[in-house]
Amino acid sequence: MKPLLVIGLGNPLMGDDGVGCAVAGRLANDPRLPEDVEVVSGGCDLLRYAAQMEGRSRVVVLDAVYESAEPGCILVFEDPGAQLDATQDHAHHLSAGQAIQLLQMTMPLRATLVGIGASSAGFEPWLSPLMESRMPAILDRVLQELVWTSSM
Amino acid sequence: MKTIVVEHLARVEGHGGITVELEGDAVSDVRFDVFEGARLLEPLVRGKRYDEVAPALSRICSICSAAHTLTSLKATENAFGVRISPQTELLRELLYRGESIESHALHLFLLALPDYLNYPSATALAADKPDIVLLGLRLKKLGNRIQETIGGRAIHPVNVVPGGFGKVPAVDQLLELRSALIEGMKDSDTVVDLMASLPAAEFCRGNTVYAALLSPNLDSYYAGDEVMIASNGDRSIIRAAEYRELTNEQSVPHSHARHSTFRGKPFMVGSLARLTVKPRRPTGRLVVVRERLQLQAPAGNPMDNNKAQALELVRDMERALETIEQLLREGVKDERPVGVHPRAGTGTAITEAPRGLLIHSYTYDAEGRITSADVITPTALNAASMEMHFRRAVEQCAERDDAVLSKRLQMIARAYDPCISCSVHLVRRR
Repeated sequence: MKPLLVIGLGNPLMGDDGVGCAVAGRLANDPRLPEDVEVVSGGCDLLRYAAQMEGRSRVVVLDAVYESAEPGCILVFEDPGAQLDATQDHAHHLSAGQAIQLLQMTMPLRATLVGIGASSAGFEPWLSPLMESRMPAILDRVLQELVWTSSM
Repeated sequence: MKTIVVEHLARVEGHGGITVELEGDAVSDVRFDVFEGARLLEPLVRGKRYDEVAPALSRICSICSAAHTLTSLKATENAFGVRISPQTELLRELLYRGESIESHALHLFLLALPDYLNYPSATALAADKPDIVLLGLRLKKLGNRIQETIGGRAIHPVNVVPGGFGKVPAVDQLLELRSALIEGMKDSDTVVDLMASLPAAEFCRGNTVYAALLSPNLDSYYAGDEVMIASNGDRSIIRAAEYRELTNEQSVPHSHARHSTFRGKPFMVGSLARLTVKPRRPTGRLVVVRERLQLQAPAGNPMDNNKAQALELVRDMERALETIEQLLREGVKDERPVGVHPRAGTGTAITEAPRGLLIHSYTYDAEGRITSADVITPTALNAASMEMHFRRAVEQCAERDDAVLSKRLQMIARAYDPCISCSVHLVRRR
C-alpha cells in the first residue's frame, strides 16, 4: 500500500484561496512531517490527481473552505461530500467535495478534507496578513491531524 | 423594471454573475461580470527572468495550465527569435491535445450534461446515471495521463522549458500512451451517441462572428501565428503581432474583463469557432461524428459549442494517436532545449486553448527580464459575445418565467465554457 497522500488545493495568485497550496508547501519542508506521508501541492482541480490517489489507504485534501466566522480555523470533514454544498455553481471545475464523491465511484478511496477557513479571496499572490499570522497554528493543527490520520 | 440575476458563476465576491434588466418585455440591459485576474498579472511578472514567466503564469488557471505555459513559452521564444525543433513542436501539440481531452471531458460530462439532463450537479447525475460520469472521468484521466507524461506533472507542467523540453518522453512511455489512447478511442461512439441524444437547446440563435487560430494544418492548437475572423462569409486575417486589432478592448463598468470586438462586433472563440472558421474536410470517423452530431457550419447557435467539443474530443484522441505514431516512426531523439539568448524585444503568441484563443504578449529588456506583459484569455474575448447571446435568449424566449430564463442563461454561459471560477474555488458548507 502506498503512503498517505496529502494534496494541497488552491490558487496561489488569489490570496487566501491558495492557503491549501501554501500549507502543503510548508508541510513538505517541515521536519515534523511523518516519514510515511507524501505531499503534493497545486491547482484547484482535485480530479487531476486521480492517478496519484490510486492504491492509497487514505488521502488528505487541504483546501480553503468558505467560513466567514474565523479565517484560519480548521474544519475536518471525514465524509466531505455529505457535508459540503453540492450545488454545481462553478462554471469551470468541480469542488473538492464533489470531486471526492466522484472519485469514490472509481476507486476505494478514503478521504479526509481538512478545510481551512477563509472569508475572502482577492487578486493578490500572497496570503492575507491575518491568514499569514495564523499559519504556525494552522501547520500545528494540520500536522496533528496527519499524525492522527496516518495512525488510523 | 424587472431584473433577472444569475449569481455564483464564480466564487469571487460580487463577480461572475449575469444580470438582465427588462422594461416590460424588452431587454434594456445585459451584464456579464467576469473576474479576469489575468489582466491584473502584469505587476506580478514585471522584472522576472524569461525562464520564470511561464511557471508563474500557468497558475492563472488549473484547467488550462498547459495552455498558459505553452503560450507563454511561445511568446518568449518569439521575442528572442528562438526556433524550436520539429520534435518539440510535435510534443507541445501532443501536450495541448492532452489538455483539450481532459478539459472537454470535464466540461461536457461533469458540467454541461447535468444541465441538459436536469440534474443540479455532476454528483446528482452520478447517483442516477453513473455510466455517464464514469465515462467522463475515464476520458479526463486519459487527458491527464498525456499531460503528465509529456508535461512532467498532472498540473502546471514543469517539463516544458524555453527552447524545448527538460526531458523527452521515452519510447516505452509513448507506447503506454498509445495503448491508453487506443483504449480511449473505444469510448468515441458512446460519446457521440450521448451528445447526439441530448434535447435540443435552441434558444439564442442568430448571426455570430467567429475567430480562431489559422494554423498550418488547420487543426493545430499550438502552431500558427495568424487569426482568422469569419462573419457571414466575410473572412479577415490578423497577424499575431497585430492582435490589438482583434482585441480592440474596451473597459466596461460592470466587469474586470475588458470587452473585445472586431470592427465593432462581438465575436466567439472556442471549439465552435474553430470548426466554423477553418473547416478542415473531415475524414474517416470524423465524417460520421459530424453527421451524427448534426453540426452545421456556419453555426448560429452557441449551444452547439458543446457538440463541437464532443467532436474535438474524438478528433483529439485520433490526432494524439497519430502524433505518437509519428514520433515512434521517426524515432524520438534525445534532444536538449535549443539555446535561448535573451535580447530586447517583444514577442506575441496566439494559441488555441480548449475554450478558445489565448494571447500572451511580452516585452523584454536586453537581460531577458519582462518590462511589460499582456495576457488575454478566451473568456475575456468571449465576454461581449456572451452578453449578446444572453440578450438573444431573453428576447427569443416567449415565457417570462424567471426559472426558465435563469436556466437558459446558465446553460449559455456554460456552453461557452468560461474560465471565471478556476481562479477562486472556495468550497462552502451546507
